[in-house]
Amino acid sequence: MIQIIIKETKEFLRDKSNIFFFFIFPVMLVFLLGNLLANLDKAEEVIGEVRIHYGIEGISDIDFVTVKEFIKGLEDRKNFFFNETDDIASSIDLATDGGIDAVVLFKNDPMEIQIYEGTNRIKNRTVNSIMNGFTQLNKAVDIIIKNNKQALIDQPNYESDYIMHKDLGIKRTMLDYYAITMMTMMCFMSIMIGAICFMGERQEKTIIRLRIAPISRVKLFFGKILGLLPQTLLQILILMVFSSLLFGAHYALYLFDNIHLFFMFTVISFTMISLGAVYGLYIDVNPMAGILPVLWLMMFFSGTYSKEIVIEGLSKYLPIYQVQEAAFDLTIFGRHQKANTVIIVCLIISLAALVFGAMGFLRKEEK
Amino acid sequence: MSYVAVENLVKKYGDITAVDHLSFTVSKGEIFGLLGPNGAGKSTTLNIITTLTDFDKGKVTVDGLDIREHKAEIKRLIGMVPQDIAIYDHLNALENVKFFASLYGYGKSDLTRNAMEALEFVGLSDKIKVKPKQMSGGMRRRLNIACGIAHKPKLIVLDEPTVGVDAQSREHILNSIRLLRDRGATVIYTSHYMQEVEQICDSIAIIDKGQLIACGTETELVSMVTDVQTVFIKTKIPINFEKETFEKKIKLMPGVKGISEEDSVIKLDISVEQNNIGHIIQEFINFGLPIISIKSELPSLDTLFLTLTGRELR
Ligand SMILES: Nc1ncnc2c1ncn2[C@@H]1O[C@H](COP(=O)(O)OP(=O)(O)OP(=O)(O)O)[C@@H](O)[C@H]1O
Ligand SMILES: [Mg+2]
Repeated sequence: MIQIIIKETKEFLRDKSNIFFFFIFPVMLVFLLGNLLANLDKAEEVIGEVRIHYGIEGISDIDFVTVKEFIKGLEDRKNFFFNETDDIASSIDLATDGGIDAVVLFKNDPMEIQIYEGTNRIKNRTVNSIMNGFTQLNKAVDIIIKNNKQALIDQPNYESDYIMHKDLGIKRTMLDYYAITMMTMMCFMSIMIGAICFMGERQEKTIIRLRIAPISRVKLFFGKILGLLPQTLLQILILMVFSSLLFGAHYALYLFDNIHLFFMFTVISFTMISLGAVYGLYIDVNPMAGILPVLWLMMFFSGTYSKEIVIEGLSKYLPIYQVQEAAFDLTIFGRHQKANTVIIVCLIISLAALVFGAMGFLRKEEK
Repeated sequence: MSYVAVENLVKKYGDITAVDHLSFTVSKGEIFGLLGPNGAGKSTTLNIITTLTDFDKGKVTVDGLDIREHKAEIKRLIGMVPQDIAIYDHLNALENVKFFASLYGYGKSDLTRNAMEALEFVGLSDKIKVKPKQMSGGMRRRLNIACGIAHKPKLIVLDEPTVGVDAQSREHILNSIRLLRDRGATVIYTSHYMQEVEQICDSIAIIDKGQLIACGTETELVSMVTDVQTVFIKTKIPINFEKETFEKKIKLMPGVKGISEEDSVIKLDISVEQNNIGHIIQEFINFGLPIISIKSELPSLDTLFLTLTGRELR
């Protein structure tokens, strides 16, 4: 199986057109889209001001202190403006009209947090992210209270430090946006590599030699698919390294988050390769016609090429959109949850695809 | 001793019967030629023997093993040279051969040695770093062969390995195939070039429309259509030559069907079956006729095919 993997990689690297299409092209695209479209898109370089109304109903004294501390910490950041309100309903109306950006309600004991979102996508995400951070923190506080109340009294200000850590400190540019969407695009494009991988062997007729060799078909299938992985990893790595070194695109602030991101994209690529292979085994339509248009349409409506092209009620059901969201969550806010969901979903899909593919490969009679 | 046995083999593709109750055996250590026109079912038969394609009816054994039950073992014995060139364009000659041999599980050093041997064998040892794209058609054919034999198979199956190559490359390929046999391999070889098959095959099966038409050594096959072989013996007629006595004597020998003389060349029609040439030569010597050259002419397999099927081969 190792020989097959080595062979695949060699073959791939020797093909000069591959080098261009898979390595140079995406990096160039990030640069071009990032610089040219940045002006058109008038991106928020920073989040801007975020206005939040909040209400407090029946929470415990300790929670009350924590909430107040938390809000105070954020207001120190200068771009968050909090107003307490008793009339939640009209605040919600205000948020719906775009007068404010969100309404947050802290209520009950144990505390529950309700967020009513406004109209701005980016700001909504910011609010969600911050409140998520707070919830995490609050959980931690709860545990500390259960075990060692004193610690809390000794360290009254730690939560604002905690939030600061996850601060939106980097000035984000459109380059960052395209660095993510292009990477997503490349990962999804791996489906093409998967779909044509057996086609290549068939065209070169080498599939015959592979099939008469005393090596099991399932091994052959996995060897082929795993053989495509190194080149995909290389692609992602090159795009990440080059776009950040050459053009100064930002990914996540922390190495760990970047590794997480890399891992997520690896898993997605692997899934797409497996899906592609299954396509290649079962469907006779040329993937150039059968897959590419679908992929392009999906990317188009997922904001891959411009963040303005997002359609309410459609975009969020597109896998590419979800992956991009997960990647933004990870890089901008350091939130791992969506990325983890993506990874798990991908692993399940690729497992299914591999089982399906191995079965198909076992059964399929070469003509 | 039969190494490959095909019994009542049937393979259908939908309505087309590609192989129709075909039976033949291949002896160990021989070159067996499978001869037939386009679409005769040669490739299909080979694909079945090499376990690539399943079949509908019949039985095939290789080295005494049933190919349905012992697929894995049989795969190890076989080296295939497919009709269509099957090599990777982006790998050089050595890498190609090494990769395919590696599928048979050799260690690294064995691998390189075997691959080099195979390349040397087909006369490409000075081209190991060359990629197929930069090779001529004949060289690619030879590389195609090298890829099929580097793992030292006991049974080598070649499907029209000489299609589209020049005379020199063809000679080289044919010689290599003989050499493979001399080293102990059993070879199955398909072609629709008559001369080739006549030249190198120890026994031959002629198939058409999936059916066996004739099978045997070249002589056996020819004797099916005609028993007569023409032999031309060039000699030098002495002055005191008793032509009539000589001709009478020869004519009376068993198997001789006719004799005539022209320009010191004696033309004999003799029976293929009762091949009596030794005794005839003896008479020449008795009559003081020196033998300058002997040329024998069998009807070609072309004629044979024409007679057996009523159709031209190509
Ligand atoms: N995969 C397939 N599907 C349908 N029919 C097939 C298939 N493979 C071969 N055939 C048919 O089976 C018959 C025998 O084909 P085969 O390739 O064995 O002939 P061949 O003797 O090798 O011919 P050639 O000299 O052209 O290589 C032909 O009629 C061909 O059309
Ligand atoms: Mg053929």
